[in-house]
Amino acid sequence: MKSQNRFGSYGLRALVAGVLILISQPLLYLVIRASEKSGSDIVALLTRQKTFEVLGLTLALLCIVVFINVFLGTAIAAGLHYVRIPYPRALFVATIVPLAIPSYVFTYTWIALIPSLQGLWAAAFILVLSTMPYMLLAVSISFARIDSGLIEVARSLGLSKFAVFTRVILPQVRRSISAGALLSGLYVLSDFGAVSLLNVETLTVSIQNLFKSSYDRSAAAVIGLLLFLAAALFVSLESLVKGRDFESRGAEGFAQRIRRVNNLPLSILTTTVLAFYSLLAVVLPFYVLISRYLQNPSVVAASDLATAALSTISVAAMGAFIAFLLSLPLAFLITQGASAFVSISEKVTLMAHALPGVVVGLALVSFGSRLGPLYQSVFLLAFAYAVLFLAKSVASTSAALALVSPQLKEVAATLGKSKSSVTMQVVFPIALPNLALGVLLVFLTAMKELPATLMLRPTGMDTLATEIWSFAAISRFNEAAPYALLLVLIAAIPTFILTIPRNAKNEYAKNENEKKVRISQ
Amino acid sequence: MTSLSVSHLTVNFGSRTVISDLSFELSQGEIASLLGPSGCGKTTLLRAIAGLIQPTSGAIRFGSQLVGVSSVVLPPHKRGTGYVPQQGALFPHLTVAKNIAFGLDRNSHTKSEIAAITHEMIGLIGMKGMEERLPSQLSGGQQTRVALARALAIKPKLILLDEPFSALDAVLRDELRTEVVGLLRELGSTAILVTHDREEALVSSDRVILMRDGKVAQNGTPEEVYEAPISPEIAASTGDVLILPAQQSNTGATFFPLSREGAGSAGSETGYVVIRPEEIRVSTNADAGAEGTLIHIDYYGHDAMLTVSVAQSATPIRARVAGPADFTVGQKVYLQHLGPVRYFSRQ
Repeated sequence: MKSQNRFGSYGLRALVAGVLILISQPLLYLVIRASEKSGSDIVALLTRQKTFEVLGLTLALLCIVVFINVFLGTAIAAGLHYVRIPYPRALFVATIVPLAIPSYVFTYTWIALIPSLQGLWAAAFILVLSTMPYMLLAVSISFARIDSGLIEVARSLGLSKFAVFTRVILPQVRRSISAGALLSGLYVLSDFGAVSLLNVETLTVSIQNLFKSSYDRSAAAVIGLLLFLAAALFVSLESLVKGRDFESRGAEGFAQRIRRVNNLPLSILTTTVLAFYSLLAVVLPFYVLISRYLQNPSVVAASDLATAALSTISVAAMGAFIAFLLSLPLAFLITQGASAFVSISEKVTLMAHALPGVVVGLALVSFGSRLGPLYQSVFLLAFAYAVLFLAKSVASTSAALALVSPQLKEVAATLGKSKSSVTMQVVFPIALPNLALGVLLVFLTAMKELPATLMLRPTGMDTLATEIWSFAAISRFNEAAPYALLLVLIAAIPTFILTIPRNAKNEYAKNENEKKVRISQ
Repeated sequence: MTSLSVSHLTVNFGSRTVISDLSFELSQGEIASLLGPSGCGKTTLLRAIAGLIQPTSGAIRFGSQLVGVSSVVLPPHKRGTGYVPQQGALFPHLTVAKNIAFGLDRNSHTKSEIAAITHEMIGLIGMKGMEERLPSQLSGGQQTRVALARALAIKPKLILLDEPFSALDAVLRDELRTEVVGLLRELGSTAILVTHDREEALVSSDRVILMRDGKVAQNGTPEEVYEAPISPEIAASTGDVLILPAQQSNTGATFFPLSREGAGSAGSETGYVVIRPEEIRVSTNADAGAEGTLIHIDYYGHDAMLTVSVAQSATPIRARVAGPADFTVGQKVYLQHLGPVRYFSRQ
């Protein structure tokens, strides 16, 4: 029983439609640019041997990484939650930290360790390291939500611990596994830095090559559309396999902590896997960055570093904020309940999310001249970030708004508050911490973005990402190190915030109070 | 003076009719209970009165002012109803004092007026010293008190309480209900209390509105709805009942298993009588009424429910006796019906 007021939602729908039109622009440009080629040229381009090779390589990489993520990622997350291990919190944080390290930094630290590293399997290795945290985070949140009461009931009904895991726990985390697979798959499809440094010609690299070498932007646009189609297909595939949406009630009140399985071989295995993963994804990369930096700390002038950091932060912050503003109308509409319009709008933003950075960059560059003063300005880059990360922003904004119970809004209305005052005095104050966290996440992602930044940055503007890339591409690892360290350290801040259990303080207060009430009776 | 009038109200959700052609009135200062099983439309009716949902047809008037028809006349924030939803719904980001002051308009009240009203309300609910606490630091009962104070602070024309005590345990629930109803009476508030607890409805209101399937089944004082139910089903919704087959002759005499007249005669109209278990006197004296065997005792402490099998009735008779009850299962007892005969013909 949602509150009505259809008049309000017409305005909101118009705003959402406007946003959708705005973010579809890059795709539209791309289609127009591609259609400048004749039909036979397009067919020739798509059917040549090279295109098949590139497409095959891209899909092979996608399958390998997603497959490893689904199985290894679920196993690691399950181990983190259900097996007795030493220092579980520290190990959890260690598995999430790689979120702060972009794929091209991973690649360059590993090339610094093993100079001969290249090829498909090397790329798969690097991309598993880069995308595993997305998987772990998604699945861990679901694991944490499962009511321990369900597990106890299942045990009392005669299920073994393993049967509990497969029949009670796994079905409840299926959607999260699917969501993690989607995130990591899209990451692989849009990755440019890692594959480029490892000489694996995937679609993104191919687009960049076409764009740079021949300046044949129509050909690049055709391959760009092919990449978009692959991503869109992957997104629709995910929505087919993810299964039904059901609300898990979640643990409340005195819900007991889930008891970890106390089995020595399993504990040793889990701890070893976690330690090995942390070694590959955290310890070694940091060791390389720090040792390379210490070899010659003054190779990069502090002022250069500061300038790059400042441009990175400002343009990423601008992008995150634009994405947040654009996400608001749709997020509000989503909290008002499901409708055909909402579901179409969500699909369109998801499609925009499937646009790889290189494709958005290409689309905006190829129509740069028509964009007037916007071209070659930071605003265009910020807009590209907003398009790329709008789906992320919509997801976090609507999740934050959904946490405000409709009852509170109704009570506020009966207390004489108009719709806008309810939003300002009730909805935003309550949702603020989670809204801010969402903006921070988009900011973090935008800061690490490479291909669109390379194509769209104004002449003379260097960001941390572009500096790392340009030095690493010519194997000047010492120069790249300070930029990479700085980027990873800044990006680590929101990553750490993510690993803090939510509302720990409030939960504590609530439980304390319930105890007091019980004692007083 | 009429404070609230709901006439021919219908609310549809899609194709489902939740409230259908429902009418009732409340006088100034009257406290009414909406009693009915879950899903009968109680909460929907309350929300329609508050303006939170739009009626499909019909009208809602506060006094003589029309506030709601199928096109919303007054949005919720202009109706001035004090709404207390289930579990309070306190604003988690605001302190007790700020929650209470939330609805006080800064344009029509000065700062000191707002402070004075808040202070008065905190005194009224007996929570002095807790002004700066956050809702998460309050017990369930305290949260309900604050939610009530927040609704009362805007001096509402009408207070709407949606099962405000349902989350509390029995002892606290009785205490708080007595306190809240006392407070509403003291302030002379007109109020509607939604409940599915029949005792709560009877003890706390001037008027009980019994709802069934989106309609008013019976509307009257607690005594009326309890003593003179319009159907056996309605009787069951306000308290325990014993429904026995009965026959009524042309002369108006009613025959049922415990009647003094004995069994009915052929050709009479058949139906039921509705008896409350406390209207049956149970005695161990052989001269008093129908003989039966005590087959079960439900012991409640303050009273006990006895189940007695008698030769005259196929269904065992249930009778309530005040404690301390001195009976044992298997003993012979004698039953006498003392109350009014409520006859309903079988249709």
